[in-house]
Amino acid sequence: MTPSVAFGTAIGTDTDERTETAQQASTDVLTAPDIPWNLVIWNDPVNLMSYVSFVFQSYFGYSEAKANKLMMEVHKKGRSIVAHGSKEQVEQHAVAMHGFGLWATVEKAASGNDAPGKDGSTRG
Amino acid sequence: MAKAFKYGFKGITGYLEHAERELLRGLLNDVISMLETESREDEDPLAALIGLDMDVQEPSDRALLRLLPNAMKDDDAGSLEFRQLTERSVRESKIGALRATALGLDKDELLLSAEDARRWSMALNDVRLVLAERLDIRDEADADHIHSMQDWSQAEDVESYLALVYNFTTWLQESLVQSMLAALERKS
Repeated sequence: MTPSVAFGTAIGTDTDERTETAQQASTDVLTAPDIPWNLVIWNDPVNLMSYVSFVFQSYFGYSEAKANKLMMEVHKKGRSIVAHGSKEQVEQHAVAMHGFGLWATVEKAASGNDAPGKDGSTRG
Repeated sequence: MAKAFKYGFKGITGYLEHAERELLRGLLNDVISMLETESREDEDPLAALIGLDMDVQEPSDRALLRLLPNAMKDDDAGSLEFRQLTERSVRESKIGALRATALGLDKDELLLSAEDARRWSMALNDVRLVLAERLDIRDEADADHIHSMQDWSQAEDVESYLALVYNFTTWLQESLVQSMLAALERKS
């Protein structure tokens, strides 16, 4: 829906790519290829709410409604899982988020309730 | 006086006076110097070329740590490994945006493309993150306190001066981001 994804890639929608990165990850003993990772954004008192929403819309291609929902979750709950995927994918997102000045970390998804489920792969 | 950025016919436009542009240029250059690393003679040129830095450490300066945060919570080894692989490219992309913004401060009437605006918003954000660390903004209450200082006649010491500079930069970034959001909405 949002066309300005020039500097972002879709998350978890490309099955081929996931297979490829999974194979790369298998050289790392600690990283099982099928364990999903989360990208977490943390609240801080400096980043503007409008800016955080802009980053979510322009980088991830999320709709305004979804970007604002995630931004408010960061603001109110202190953190929000904004994307998930392979370790390589979420690390790439973390680099981009640090480039934007957002406080991002990556973490292994806990089994079940913590994961954003299908939500993370929905675009726009 | 500066005019807020707005999105219109021509794109994103703004206006900054000479003194305001000089102030911003100084702030941008300060952040660039913080992010620039001295190149070492014994550095592996191939590693440098592909963006690796095996000698990197977690920054001891809090402001620099805020610009280049740890990527894994409660995992120092994982965060350090992430730094070795990625910190150089994050530094370079930040320096690129800061330099482009400083170069764009060459006239008072500003006209920004979408890409210019993106770089400006990143650069202003980094300036604000550094100022916020210097001002000890740790939570929303600190931020509100700093935000309440709007009168330049209150600038009587370094802290109040920095607070006013922070508020000016915040105002400028907010108007820019609102214009960028308006531009995004127009496109969709």
